[in-house]
Amino acid sequence: MSEPILKIKNLEKTYPNGVQALKGISFDVKKGEFLVIIGLSGSGKSTLLRCLNRLHDPTGGEAKFHEQDIVQLSTAAEIRSLRSKIGMIFQHFNLIPRHTVLNNVLMGKLAVTKTWKSIFGLFSEADKADAMKYLKLVGIADKAHIRADQLSGGQQQRVAIARALTQNPEVLLADEPVASLDPATCHIVMDYLKKVNQELGITIICNLHFLSLVRLYATRVIALKGGELVYEGDPKNIDEAWFEKIYGEGAKEVHIN
Amino acid sequence: MKTKSHVFRRSLLDGVSFALFVSVILSLIYNPTDEQLLNLSLVSTIFIGSMIAGGLLSHFLNQAGYKTFGENLFEPAYVKARAESKPWYKAFWGWHLFLTILVLFIVGLFKTKFSMYELLDEDGFEGAKRLFKGIFSPNWQVLPTAVLNIIETIFMAFLATFLAIPFAFLLSFVAAKNIMKSPWAYAVYMFVRTVLNVTRSIEALVWAIIFSVWVGIGPFAGMLALMIHSIASLTKQYSEMVETVYEGPIEGVQSCGANKLQVIWFAIVPQVVLPYISFTVYRWDINVRMATIIGLVGGGGIGTMLIKYQGQAMWPEVGTIIVVIAAVVWIMDQASAYIREALK
Repeated sequence: MSEPILKIKNLEKTYPNGVQALKGISFDVKKGEFLVIIGLSGSGKSTLLRCLNRLHDPTGGEAKFHEQDIVQLSTAAEIRSLRSKIGMIFQHFNLIPRHTVLNNVLMGKLAVTKTWKSIFGLFSEADKADAMKYLKLVGIADKAHIRADQLSGGQQQRVAIARALTQNPEVLLADEPVASLDPATCHIVMDYLKKVNQELGITIICNLHFLSLVRLYATRVIALKGGELVYEGDPKNIDEAWFEKIYGEGAKEVHIN
Repeated sequence: MKTKSHVFRRSLLDGVSFALFVSVILSLIYNPTDEQLLNLSLVSTIFIGSMIAGGLLSHFLNQAGYKTFGENLFEPAYVKARAESKPWYKAFWGWHLFLTILVLFIVGLFKTKFSMYELLDEDGFEGAKRLFKGIFSPNWQVLPTAVLNIIETIFMAFLATFLAIPFAFLLSFVAAKNIMKSPWAYAVYMFVRTVLNVTRSIEALVWAIIFSVWVGIGPFAGMLALMIHSIASLTKQYSEMVETVYEGPIEGVQSCGANKLQVIWFAIVPQVVLPYISFTVYRWDINVRMATIIGLVGGGGIGTMLIKYQGQAMWPEVGTIIVVIAAVVWIMDQASAYIREALK
């Protein structure tokens, strides 16, 4: 539990328009933990996650993943190989709406499938079995042959989790996974993430808005404000004073049960 | 702050309108002969000279607070939002625009040799009456030939569209800005865009002339002409669809470690396939109409038949052909509208 899987040092990201989204952030991610990142919209949470799987290119600093510096990766092949080891789910699920659930989950096998085979949809039986296994894990195997856009938001997010798991990742990034879901569905999705974390031992780094969820699910929490790290520690130690510091004066905590 | 491009566009438009005034005034004063007008270098020097003068004049006018038409049209949106609204006839630009349109209209009347006298002349009117009489009493004996020829036209259009699809499909991704991001890819993008724009600005009619020399007069030349034009047009429409796809699925597939081809195939193609089909059906419809015109210059099909009878002033036969063309164009138009509606 204690050895770090990711060592992030002075990570910086400045967008071409001059916006400094990350101003030198340092923290470690321990293997097997459920790390939650909190902060206001625009505090750099999404940018941080996207820098870790190189959907965005960091502009400075260092991020070590198994002795390999994510920031220094330059070829497309290196970046793809990194992404295959780090799964990701998104606020808006980012499934392919017109494809079936199973096909969506099989996207997780793209990195290990020859391009021409994937384009003709020739995924191996083992891959399909794998995909079905993870669909079962998130309790949605009966919907495998339905088009993804026919599912509810919560179901789509579970498909997205299955897709990420099919990659067999070591780390799962979750960018506001419940922000566009209703409160009831929220907990179902978070419970599946917890299950993934505890049963499969996958390290989770998750952006969240609601502190009540943070306290329920996080094993550790960091807070960003204006692109800087302002808090790191146990979720239970975030008191009112810290809350105001992170979310600004006059902010009130909203509870979600 | 004023942007550079806005000043350039304003000066160009005002310059052209000023040069128009100068040219009209000069030709009123000197009443030049045709021979003098054919002196292109002199005429263009005068025109370009007065354009530059007009551009400068427009600059001074705008500095002095008189808003020219060019300024009013091209000023940045935030300036436009600030300006108090004044009725056009109280503003400098309003009279500028009014005068420009008036002069254009009058010059147009002269240039097209507009003549009420010719339009209502009795001899000419009789000729037109004969023609209409012929057209409205079609000679149905040529109907079988006309039908055979229009089938040729429809298939010209079909094959041209069909053969254009794979080219346009592949090119559409190369011609989409959101895919061609890296510097060398952007260079390819610019090159393809330029080639396509040039290809598209050459009318299918001109391509038909080129190909009728190349492969001989007939439907093959017409088909090739339509194909070239369809590739250019479809690529433009397709690539615009690619440029407006949702980023979400792209990120989703990328995060799985997919390569560029896989991202295009799984995240972009499903989003654009329906509009692609819709555009393609519409292109076939357009191509049937264009194929008719192309036939006039030797592209085969019904157009070639039409020009043959028209040349011999055989109006009843021409009437039959017009009926057949109208019927087919109407049917194609309706069918393609229904198909595109169903695809939504």
